[in-house]
Amino acid sequence: MTKGVFLIAKNNGYVDYVKQAVFLARRIKKYLDMPVSIATDSVEYLENIFGVDDFDKIIKLDYVDSSNMKYFFDGTLSKKAASFKNANRADVYKLSPYDETIIMDTDYIISNDLLKSVFDSTSDFLIYKKSTDIAKVRDEIEFEKISDTSIDFYWATVIFFRKTKTNKIFFNLVNHIEEEWSHYRRVYQITSSLFRNDFAFSIAIHIMNGFQTGSFAQQLPGNMMYTTDKDILWQLTDDEMMFLVEKKDYLGEYTALKTTGQNIHVMNKFSLGRIIDKEFANE
Amino acid sequence: MSKGIVVFAQNNDTDNYVDQACLLAMTLKLHNDTPISIVTNDTIPDEYKCLFDKIIPIPFGDAAKNTEWKIENRWKLYYCSPYKETIIMDTDMMVLQNIDIWWKFLSKYEMFFTNKVLNYRGDVADTKYYRKTFIDNDLPNLFSGLHYFRKCEFAQEFYHWLEYVMNNWETFYEQQLIAASRPKHMSIDVCAAIVARILDCEDTITNNITKFPSFTHMKPYCQGWNKVQTNWQDQIGVYISKDGSLKIGNYLQTGVLHYTEKDFLEKTSVIEIYRNLINV
Repeated sequence: MTKGVFLIAKNNGYVDYVKQAVFLARRIKKYLDMPVSIATDSVEYLENIFGVDDFDKIIKLDYVDSSNMKYFFDGTLSKKAASFKNANRADVYKLSPYDETIIMDTDYIISNDLLKSVFDSTSDFLIYKKSTDIAKVRDEIEFEKISDTSIDFYWATVIFFRKTKTNKIFFNLVNHIEEEWSHYRRVYQITSSLFRNDFAFSIAIHIMNGFQTGSFAQQLPGNMMYTTDKDILWQLTDDEMMFLVEKKDYLGEYTALKTTGQNIHVMNKFSLGRIIDKEFANE
Repeated sequence: MSKGIVVFAQNNDTDNYVDQACLLAMTLKLHNDTPISIVTNDTIPDEYKCLFDKIIPIPFGDAAKNTEWKIENRWKLYYCSPYKETIIMDTDMMVLQNIDIWWKFLSKYEMFFTNKVLNYRGDVADTKYYRKTFIDNDLPNLFSGLHYFRKCEFAQEFYHWLEYVMNNWETFYEQQLIAASRPKHMSIDVCAAIVARILDCEDTITNNITKFPSFTHMKPYCQGWNKVQTNWQDQIGVYISKDGSLKIGNYLQTGVLHYTEKDFLEKTSVIEIYRNLINV
């Protein structure tokens, strides 16, 4: 059985996801010692700027513009509207060269070997449901249900799956939900029209469970820790990260917070980009 | 041992509980062979009479002639049940699955009350919004809307006490409940809880571990919503398929559904679908 990690990187005008993927691939090699493959619409850019040594396989995606726009914050006081090129995440089932795959968002920073254990799991599909906002001052309710009256929220940030018949059906279902998003978001009482993979995967899991709470998806090891894009990643040294997390009710003020040996989903892509630039400059 | 469901239906000026009982009987029939009897003095439409094993008049006279809620006769259910083992259900319930396994579980008890109910997502519901009297007075959290008894000395004693408490509810409320959270009307759940306290039998009539037998309680504040409207039907949709499967919001319902809102039958096509399914 082949095993590996799979990343998807599609740059927009502001965020360099390819750079993030290269950075993450190096950390995966260091902490998980797994092969990493990438699917990107910027193969030439990857080859010319970063080289191909960090990847086991490079899969070329067609360039497709996206009308899915959202604000990307850089701390509490700065934001930019940019296209959110998150389409076709479910294609990973077809694209992944591995029998057993961990798919990760490129802004997920690996700092330990916890995810290695997933390959020993008896479950064929693992995902994060439980999560923790490291700031601990924000309402986390939006990550509990996809809407107030609807279903449980699952994070599509990190997923482990085996290529099985059932999982093939699951990923086809996610694709279908994406294609018919305007219908599904109404059925599931989602007010925003923005397509989010977290929502599509949550809906698909609910359907696979027969429209009830069920056991199709099991929890990845540990909790999904995250910081929102209102926080700033300030420093990164090996497995230590220093964040400035937003202060509740004090716009523009932050509290310093340090983590050691924690995998963290860093949603502030601009501050992550600055840290990666520093890291690459030191190499 | 004979086993069956008994439902008590007494119409008032605004609500037709017999219609609700007929729907309950239809849903039961679709998934179960268990007989159901109805205790009522009201007229059952001819086409629905076949749904019931026995149609039993309210015994010992009608104690609820002049009241709105019509619960004063509920203690009589023990005496008029034709079964050795009985599950009592509220009329505004639907049985959405086979419940044979419940009987097996319940046979270990002389009486059984559920002490936790579920919300439409299948999670154990947080009922504290509606249960201030129980919390403030440390009463056993009993839900009489679905309970079980076997004809036996203990159950008879329990129901005997229930009769006594219900007929003297104001006195018992004053004795047993603190003034701040003392209800101004009689509640069968509160009366049953007072009886359980008097007989000190909570541990023998409930089970804190098991999630079933129980029911899905559709009172809006049980549903785990942050924004709650007065009626749950205004907040989420009801979807019923031709095969009788029922979704509330995004969740397929199983077990016993306590829909609670009186206009549920008018607002949905549920009666029509079940009539077709069981040919009545």
